[in-house]
Amino acid sequence: MSSLQTIQRMMAEQFDLKPEDLSPDAQLDSLGLDSLSVIEFMFTLEDELNIKIANDRVEDFKTVGDVADIIDKIMAAQKVTSL
Amino acid sequence: MARRVVITGLGIISPVGNTPEEFFGNLMAGHSGIKRLQTDFIEKLSIRIGAPVEGFNPAEHFSKIQLTGIERFSQFALVAAQQAVQDAGLELSEAEFGRAGVSMGSCQGGISTLESAYGELFRQENPRIKPLTVLLSMNNAAASHISIKFRLRGPNITYATACSSSAISIGESYRQIKHGYADVMLAGGAEAMLTLGAMKAWEALRTLALEDPDDASASCKPFAKDRSGLVLGEGAAVLVLEDAERAVERGAKIYAELAGYDCSSDSNHITKPDAAGQTRTILKALHDAHLQPQDIHYINAHGTATLAGDIEETKAIKQVFGTHSRQIPVSSTKSMHGHLMGATSAVEFIAAVLAMKHNAIPPTINLHQPDPECDLDYVPNIGRTGVNLNAVMSNSFAFGGSNAVLIATRFKP
Repeated sequence: MSSLQTIQRMMAEQFDLKPEDLSPDAQLDSLGLDSLSVIEFMFTLEDELNIKIANDRVEDFKTVGDVADIIDKIMAAQKVTSL
Repeated sequence: MARRVVITGLGIISPVGNTPEEFFGNLMAGHSGIKRLQTDFIEKLSIRIGAPVEGFNPAEHFSKIQLTGIERFSQFALVAAQQAVQDAGLELSEAEFGRAGVSMGSCQGGISTLESAYGELFRQENPRIKPLTVLLSMNNAAASHISIKFRLRGPNITYATACSSSAISIGESYRQIKHGYADVMLAGGAEAMLTLGAMKAWEALRTLALEDPDDASASCKPFAKDRSGLVLGEGAAVLVLEDAERAVERGAKIYAELAGYDCSSDSNHITKPDAAGQTRTILKALHDAHLQPQDIHYINAHGTATLAGDIEETKAIKQVFGTHSRQIPVSSTKSMHGHLMGATSAVEFIAAVLAMKHNAIPPTINLHQPDPECDLDYVPNIGRTGVNLNAVMSNSFAFGGSNAVLIATRFKP
């Protein structure tokens, strides 16, 4: 199961963004999310999904789809199943 | 030759108004912003009064993404700075950004962020601290956000000298321009410390005013026999300071000339105010402004309403102004807006500048029982209009002994 929908929902809630703007290819910086907002969002993801995201992954988060792909891989590797 | 410095813009978010004119109108009307606080930790406070900012909705000024990284004290600062820049009609060219700077005062910076983060950590409710905690809480966040928003690439300096922080940020900005390091400075202070930890710490120091049993808004009583201390407040104030020649050339509206400043230390005691140190500071500021004591037409007092503070300030004024001291109106507007700590001097300097603009003196409210040891003209309870003010002074005397005095005069080209 992909985390995409969960991530879209969390992102919309945390930053007051429109769900329709959060397509998988939407660029985070064009949504107004700079590197600090992304770090803050990683923290929320770790808390809510009970995962650990390595510090160096922040650079890989370019689009909404990137975030979902990375989170899917982390959840699989860390054997977290519930979304 | 040293350059002259003028004030061309004002901005304020305060317990008695969120624009300069609303603020000054409320001061003249004797309206107090002091009240019973409405907070979820009220039960933990012994002293439950404060001077909160009302009618400030962050969502009107910032997106949710921006609010992730901008703390309450920085929000106040940015909105006050925006008002001041707009008021000044300030437009900087690419070349001018490098000669425009910012300086702010703050005692506690983003303390609410620190309190909630550390609180959860210490109570072991949450072993983790949010990633932006450092950036939200650092004392220089307010000035830095102003620098970024308005592209100010000159000095970016934050002062933390307790109650005189923003007098020093304004005074040192004046010196930046006077001595040619910058042409334009945004200067002021910001504070948002009506938090559980900060309020408990001040309670413990036994300097907070007790709540007036009949009227909470009348709890701060500077220079009165029944005074019992200060009331904590929050807010921000920012002034646009500008090289006088530049301001005249661009046809700017000029509120006043920032004509004199001094900062100097009591070097005596960490809390006890000292008339000798205050006297030295006032005299040096007068000297800097090339003014005689009798040239000053109004003093906005530090006037915290502490037992010792009001007596020492009265002594210092008498020492400097001699027989003239009883002719000068001296008022403490803290009786209405409370003590905004790192922002208070900037708020009070704006009160003094607007007093000169309107030829009107805001009162010291709640002054019904005179103290024989405080025997100057404190403009008790009712503001005065129709006066003629050509030079005004604002006193700031801080914990740590860091004193600062600012003098503004009516600008003559």
